[in-house]
Amino acid sequence: MIGVALDDSPDDVKPFTDEITFPVLLDAQHLTTELYAISNVPTVIWIDEEDRIARPNGVAYGTDTFKDFTGVEAEPHLDEIRRWVREGVVPIAREDARGAVGQLSDDEVRARLHFRIATEARRHGDEEAARRHFVQAAQLAPNDWTIRRASMPLVGDDPFGPAFFEFYEEWQRNGRPYHGLGPTLASG
Amino acid sequence: MTQFTVIAEDVRVFDATVRDGRMLLRSGDLPSALGWELKPEGLCRGDVCVPVRDVESLRVEDRLDLAAVAGALRRPVVVDNDAGIAAVALPAEERARALDALEAPQFTLPDLDGRVHDLAEWHGRKKLLLAFATW
Repeated sequence: MIGVALDDSPDDVKPFTDEITFPVLLDAQHLTTELYAISNVPTVIWIDEEDRIARPNGVAYGTDTFKDFTGVEAEPHLDEIRRWVREGVVPIAREDARGAVGQLSDDEVRARLHFRIATEARRHGDEEAARRHFVQAAQLAPNDWTIRRASMPLVGDDPFGPAFFEFYEEWQRNGRPYHGLGPTLASG
Repeated sequence: MTQFTVIAEDVRVFDATVRDGRMLLRSGDLPSALGWELKPEGLCRGDVCVPVRDVESLRVEDRLDLAAVAGALRRPVVVDNDAGIAAVALPAEERARALDALEAPQFTLPDLDGRVHDLAEWHGRKKLLLAFATW
């Protein structure tokens, strides 16, 4: 397991990693969201011994903490992981895995560039430029949590305040877009 | 001359000039900004060269237009001359092709203590890449 934190600074992440034994990397510039077309968290990607994507982007949780909110149970996906590790069984055919994520649009790529400029401007103390680029990023990728939700604490919006619920409802109305597979459901 | 931050594979600061709305880098800074250099045969990185149809469109006197060079490399780019920051994406077609072929793209990132890691460190093992965030 390799964790990639899409956070602005190590200090944001450290309070949550005390009990974590796997490596956690910091991706403040959201390089991996461009490389792997990640549009929300948590996203889990299975990568095999030969560095091929065995199971592409999927929503999955390690526990049922958020089950009431997300409707996603942890166990079915954990079962699939155990079968992969023990028996090498991948739950998705390669032809289905190909194309399951959906390429980033040109706008979604540009949104990532604006997001990076905004976070850098913020580091320079240029709040005006930061805000301008966060707004442009959000306009270009309105359904992308790694842009919209990620920018909320950086512009001083309450992550559980009105801006969040406005975004959440908009995302629901748009059909909950996600670059990747839906959650693994319990069988039977 | 002004300080410009270029966000590409790394985040680096260069002396740059802005002329007619174009952000111009010293030619010698191009390799550390984007990993490519301009040679007579085109834009080159190691042995690989991309031919450039109109080299003069990249150049302003002895300087290079960052956005034009990024365009020639098929890398999306956003430049903010007022903020003094530019961001350059990865080559779009190469990235899309790798994802389509289910090749896990390589990356290098620091851990929370600043030590740098490469995905290749875990080659030969099954990996779960978990993208998460505290927001």
